[in-house]
Amino acid sequence: MKQKTFEWSLERGDLLPLLMMLPTLLVIIFIMVVPLAYGIFLSFFTLGFGGKTTVDSFVGLANYSQFFNDPVALKVTLNTMLFSFGAIAGDLLLGTLISLLLINLKSFTSSIIRPIVTMPLLVSPVVVGLIWRYIYDPKGILYWFLGKFGIGIQQFPGVTSASTALLSTIIAHWWQVTPFVIIVLTAGLLSIPVEYYEASKIDGAGPWRTFFQITLPQLTSVYVVILLVSGVDTIKIFDIIYSLTGGGPNNSSLSLSIYAYSQAFEQSNLSYSIAISVLTMILTFCIFGIPFIRHNLGKGNR
Amino acid sequence: MKKNRLTIRKSIGLLLLLLGLALLLIWTAVPIYIVISNSFRKTLEMKLMPPKMLFQPIFSHYQKLLSLDRFGIYFRNSAIISISTTAFTIILGSMAAYGLKICTSSIGRRISNVLLLGKMVPSITILIPLFMMMNRVHLTGTYLAPILTLSCLSLPFVTWLMTGFIADIPNELIEAASIEGCSRVSIFAKIIFPLLRPAVASAVILVMQSSWNELMFSLQLTNLKTYPLTVGIARYVGAVSVDWGKCSAAATITMAPIIIIGFFMQKYLVSGMTAGAVKG
Repeated sequence: MKQKTFEWSLERGDLLPLLMMLPTLLVIIFIMVVPLAYGIFLSFFTLGFGGKTTVDSFVGLANYSQFFNDPVALKVTLNTMLFSFGAIAGDLLLGTLISLLLINLKSFTSSIIRPIVTMPLLVSPVVVGLIWRYIYDPKGILYWFLGKFGIGIQQFPGVTSASTALLSTIIAHWWQVTPFVIIVLTAGLLSIPVEYYEASKIDGAGPWRTFFQITLPQLTSVYVVILLVSGVDTIKIFDIIYSLTGGGPNNSSLSLSIYAYSQAFEQSNLSYSIAISVLTMILTFCIFGIPFIRHNLGKGNR
Repeated sequence: MKKNRLTIRKSIGLLLLLLGLALLLIWTAVPIYIVISNSFRKTLEMKLMPPKMLFQPIFSHYQKLLSLDRFGIYFRNSAIISISTTAFTIILGSMAAYGLKICTSSIGRRISNVLLLGKMVPSITILIPLFMMMNRVHLTGTYLAPILTLSCLSLPFVTWLMTGFIADIPNELIEAASIEGCSRVSIFAKIIFPLLRPAVASAVILVMQSSWNELMFSLQLTNLKTYPLTVGIARYVGAVSVDWGKCSAAATITMAPIIIIGFFMQKYLVSGMTAGAVKG
């Protein structure tokens, strides 16, 4: 692990590796790194839609302090965290249940069922939002179905009420992202050596004990990866909410990304919007970035 | 007696399994089925509950979509953007991965991991400054703007995926080729790249999927001439009353190609997604 002398080929006048990497690095630098730095720079200024910065318009941290004094922004931050938590918890729970359900299927049955189960993953999130908007329609299929159990729009108001709008978007997210968890967990389950299960059978362990003592511990690192990958995606959530509720009613399902977007392109508060988006990044980084780095870079050193 | 109890337990287990599978299929397939079937229904029939399984299909929603709402053009734009992005990312990503392999240092593996940090950056954080930059160089409204942007989003993952695959290629193979007198560039083109086929297939379906389905960047970086399907649909969403017939048809057009491709490339979809999590 500790290689003090990097044999960086460049030192020997070998340009080929660098040339091969250059196009990728250039794209990433110009599309991601430069805009990111430019954005952070701009967040210390006030700017109109033209995006001109002058020395006069330097405002220091004012855009950031505006965020912490903006009740909507704080609500939106809470919404985003709730969304992230609810979405991940549901994804993992449903994903685990379904993968365990599917794991013992005969290969023929599973070759039919698995592609069907994977479908939602391939649907554009904006379409997912639209599909669920139709499903949540008060005269739609969900309420027809719930009506059979005596549940009406009063009991579960769906996207029409501030109390359940966020939950409704979370459910739509479960629908789309659970298949990802199923795919990854299934691969994880299949990688557990059969001997472990045979041993636990011989020891007379029941299915619950086997699950908690063998399956779950073996899958820890798989769960960590899923948590990081889908966790990051939930903090940046945009499309599903954008097309399902648009953030309403009464901002109850508004996420940080949509709030920043609407501040920029609907309210023309460019600098405030950039500050919101930078804070979103910091939030993502604090919650998921640090474990992500420890997980991934730790691996690279091995 | 004991045997009897066992068979009862077994059949209860089977019953629960079937029930679980039925619920799973309903949960997954009904939302998609409803949208697709509604796109062929008369608007009045959509309100009927329960939905009729047999009905006279009509195509007027699609006709309206294609003739009045320019969805044919949006479809073409989506295809241009996502196919170019896919090709571009795969070529660049595999080149970078090979570069990482032949640079004889441990930095190699590390760079591909550092690239993955790009995932931590929320799209919204780069959208606004990128939009301003693209505007200044007059790239907004061109195909190049979304292609470059979406490539940038996929490149870290593709490079990382390819790096993993290249690392598995035995060094002897490369040495043998270089003894034969192959230059390192032709080793890449003639030996490495063909061996990467499974990784390329995984990258095709995953990048195709994400670039076809992307919304946020496309909303701002494209204009009426270059709108992809997702933006076309998003324009309906804002409307006060949604025309569900047209919407369902638009949703069907948008999701069908990727679902079909994904169905045939299921194996690669799965291997691409699990490459990171399980193989490590």
